[in-house]
Amino acid sequence: MKRILAVLLVLAMVFSLAACSKEEDKPASNSGNTTNNSSNEGVVSDETATLKLWDIAVPGDGNRPAYDASLKELKVMFPNVTIEEDCTENEAYKPKIKAAVANNEVPDIFFTWAGAFLGDFANAGKVYCLDEELKKYVGNELPESMLGNSTYNGKHYGVPTTMNVVGLFANLDILAQVGYTKIPETKEELFDCCDKLVAKGIIPFGCSGKENWCVTEYLEPIIEKTIGATELNDIFRNGKTWNNAGIATAVDTLQQMIDKGYFDPNGIALGNEEVKANFMAGKYAFYQNGTWNCGDFSDPSKVSFNVTVGEWPVMDASKSSMGQLIGGPSDTIAVSANAPKVAAQFAVEFGRLICHYGYLAGSGLPAWTPYGDTSAVSQLVQTVAGICNKANGYVLFGDNAMSAEDADKYLNYVAKVYGKEIDGAGFVAGLTSELR
Amino acid sequence: MKKKSQKLTIFLFLLPALLLFVGLLISPIIMSIYYSLFEWNGMNSEMNFIGLGNYSEMFSSDLIRFGNALKNSLILAALSVFLQLPFSLALALALGKKIKGERFFLSVYFMPVLISTVVIGQLWLKIYNPDYGIINSALRGLGLLGEKDSILWLGDKDLALGAVFVPTLWQYVGYHMLLLYAGVKSVSPELREAAKLDGATEGQVNRYVVIPSIKPIIKVSVIFAVTGSLKSYDLIYVLTNGGPLQATEVPSTIMIKQLFLSNRYGLGSAMAVMLIALCFFFAILIGFIFKERDIYGKK
Amino acid sequence: MERNDKMDAKVSDDALKVDLSKYTVKKTNKGLKVAIFIGLIMWALINLFPIYWMFTFSLKTNAEIFGENTVGLPREWKWENYNNALFGKTARRIPGIDYSDEDNKPFELPKLIRYFLNSLFITVTTILISLIAALMATYAMTRIKWKLSGAMNALFMLGLTIPIHASLLPVYFTMSKLGVLDTYTSLIIPYSAFSLSMSILICSGFMEDIPKELDEAACIDGCGPWKIFFKVIVPLMKPAVATIGIYTFLQCWNELMFANQFITKGDKKTLPVGIQQLSGQYLTEWGPIGAGLVIATFPTLIVYIFLSKRIQDSFIAGAVKG
Repeated sequence: MKRILAVLLVLAMVFSLAACSKEEDKPASNSGNTTNNSSNEGVVSDETATLKLWDIAVPGDGNRPAYDASLKELKVMFPNVTIEEDCTENEAYKPKIKAAVANNEVPDIFFTWAGAFLGDFANAGKVYCLDEELKKYVGNELPESMLGNSTYNGKHYGVPTTMNVVGLFANLDILAQVGYTKIPETKEELFDCCDKLVAKGIIPFGCSGKENWCVTEYLEPIIEKTIGATELNDIFRNGKTWNNAGIATAVDTLQQMIDKGYFDPNGIALGNEEVKANFMAGKYAFYQNGTWNCGDFSDPSKVSFNVTVGEWPVMDASKSSMGQLIGGPSDTIAVSANAPKVAAQFAVEFGRLICHYGYLAGSGLPAWTPYGDTSAVSQLVQTVAGICNKANGYVLFGDNAMSAEDADKYLNYVAKVYGKEIDGAGFVAGLTSELR
Repeated sequence: MKKKSQKLTIFLFLLPALLLFVGLLISPIIMSIYYSLFEWNGMNSEMNFIGLGNYSEMFSSDLIRFGNALKNSLILAALSVFLQLPFSLALALALGKKIKGERFFLSVYFMPVLISTVVIGQLWLKIYNPDYGIINSALRGLGLLGEKDSILWLGDKDLALGAVFVPTLWQYVGYHMLLLYAGVKSVSPELREAAKLDGATEGQVNRYVVIPSIKPIIKVSVIFAVTGSLKSYDLIYVLTNGGPLQATEVPSTIMIKQLFLSNRYGLGSAMAVMLIALCFFFAILIGFIFKERDIYGKK
Repeated sequence: MERNDKMDAKVSDDALKVDLSKYTVKKTNKGLKVAIFIGLIMWALINLFPIYWMFTFSLKTNAEIFGENTVGLPREWKWENYNNALFGKTARRIPGIDYSDEDNKPFELPKLIRYFLNSLFITVTTILISLIAALMATYAMTRIKWKLSGAMNALFMLGLTIPIHASLLPVYFTMSKLGVLDTYTSLIIPYSAFSLSMSILICSGFMEDIPKELDEAACIDGCGPWKIFFKVIVPLMKPAVATIGIYTFLQCWNELMFANQFITKGDKKTLPVGIQQLSGQYLTEWGPIGAGLVIATFPTLIVYIFLSKRIQDSFIAGAVKG
């Protein structure tokens, strides 16, 4: 349970096309560096150091195997570095790392979320600038676009590991009952499909109202597919006004869908775990949530129907298109401003390896270009990877794009939308006046 | 000479407690009061002095609604004093008079207190679940609820507050019962017997002999109930975390969100100071009420 | 009201002079007694249910816990949940990696047992420290006459009112300055401080009822305050000791926020932190968490059941009120 709120912030941080393209405009200072595409065997540094590492890869976490495998390989690459690792459960980690930073007890290497979370540390001057250490990878193994979230004032402060986007998961067995063999791709198709489902007594969507971030998993893609990725990104990250008719329309669309009975009315009283369990038990046709669910949904012992994953249909084809996603690289490794250089080198290799092994283990999508044999990766993850490859626009999760204070207010308004306390106009008016 | 040595004795007796107390309870309060005067995110080196700004924002902001949270916790405190405590007292009295299986009941009633809030919270989530929860299933079984209908105990903003309070009150019945039981048991049996021999019924013995003599314990229980209600956090966090639409928000849920999610350390500290002040106020008030009673009462 | 006043007076004056055989004690209504007993049993069942539920929960899969089978017995008793909880093993393995060194590891003490022992040590030490400090302070405030004793008591009451969550950062700074982070001390000190006020409250409730004449008699016998404290007061405080022990235990045993912040070394962590580590960032298996909770709770329950007999006995021995 403690974990649940956790996911809220964990939902993690993404990057924006705008931010990337801006960086790409600058002269590519890092081209022509040593390229090393295969697994990096051999000694990187023989410096001696004892480094403190804080992360959230507790024994129960899906990323633990990737961390173990990475640390094992790093022993070869940094033979004289001793790592003192401390794992903390995700939810408890946030106050812990914040308090440690406040007390100037920043661990040498630590896990963090990109976006505003790391941004606060970077702005307070507590983290190490990794430009130099990342140089040899940026642009080849690590696409520059993956660094947008951990870049502040043009400097890189984090090493991305895995990424996640919002996926629309569908129960194909249920869809087949109303004559659909794939996820609808237009608004009309979607509404037609849902109407047929409702007529048959099947609930199309499940969404937890108890956890506000779950509502954003629906609302943000609807907004994005109504006003377009660039516009939404400008609003989330670049201070463009919320006073946008398209947002009001999108909110009204969501509420219209609720009124039509497309959403499980019990959802408002349920937590995400419960809603997800309902989907896995075949109660809903669709479930829209982060792609980290691929692991559970591709486990045949847990899900007995045919499941697939796709993206939310386009709501306004004049402004948006398929391939515009919500999400991006979120989990990040950062280094203390006071740490020695070898810690920075270590962190870069560490992030790269976690990404590699995490992908092989099926615990996330890679922010770095995958290498090695990836044939064992599950079908769902590969589908998502395919969607990401074709993506033409990413928008950060709203609550991670914004500062912590704004995100809290924003989630508050999102809750009011799902609770039908305000409509689209009220949402737009409230956010316009409350957020900077 | 003698006075001096007595002063020293008092000081020495108080020393360990004072060291712990001042070092770990008083100094954090002072630090919190200091932080509460600033706009500060908890980590930046610059802090922006805003005087009492955080205090006024706390009560005026439509988004934070601290007043609403305070009202909720005061309702909980009232329920705790007027429902939970009398019930605990009744249990303590019933168990205090050598009933069969006294030890068994005593142990069992205290068990919910020993069980982690995570477990209690998860259990009540299942009890309240709209689809398969025990309550809705029972109502459907009795025909009071349509087969396809459900009551959203934790999702309806008019019901949620009550739904959250039930387990909160239930879990700590055993806590108060144990405290009161300790008092009931320490009333001397001769006193009870004598009252009975004088023709007092069981009820009269309880009312006129037992309860007056355990008044100090009742006072402690009332203080725990009120301050505990004002500080309540864990179970509400698990059940609703303040939702739906802030209907079940209490001061601690808001405070923790401000401290650790919104990074508003100054505002969160102001809330902490407010909470401490309120709890202290109530503790003194309760002590005062019990003293008043002593004057007019019979002791 | 008047009647009682009379009765009260009679009770205190005549209590010891009454010739028992001359009076008949009024019999309580039998029907009422049975009704009360049935009520007590019902309430007991309500209070036992969470324990049954927790135990079955620890043997289930996520699917059963969320929906399919929430209250029934597990369909398949997943004892491996306990194995996972104890050893913190990760089920998933990455294809193509050599795990032979891990598989051939010699047996080691389960981490959760280690955490359990840590928690036990911290809790017991906390109880001792807070008990001694509270007994001494209460003695100074209730048995010795001085001007500010009331104000001092009120000051200690302040401690009851401090939300532990709000003081995380200031206490963390203090512990860091003392240089005790990552040691048991970093938890024992704040836990003792935070349970101190309650201990003092409980103590003073009991201590006020010890007749002052006892002190005076001891004083006449030539005992100083220290001797009175150890020879007269402390032995009479036994019932309070049991109560304080329980309430302090409750405060420390499940505490998470301080435990999580102040201890970062794996071998010093406490049980709640260990259990919390069983949940993942994105996906959580609830069965092993249930198993961890059972491991944390059942010993407590068993010890409590044994203690509760003790508590009663000590109550009877220490019954000095009235």
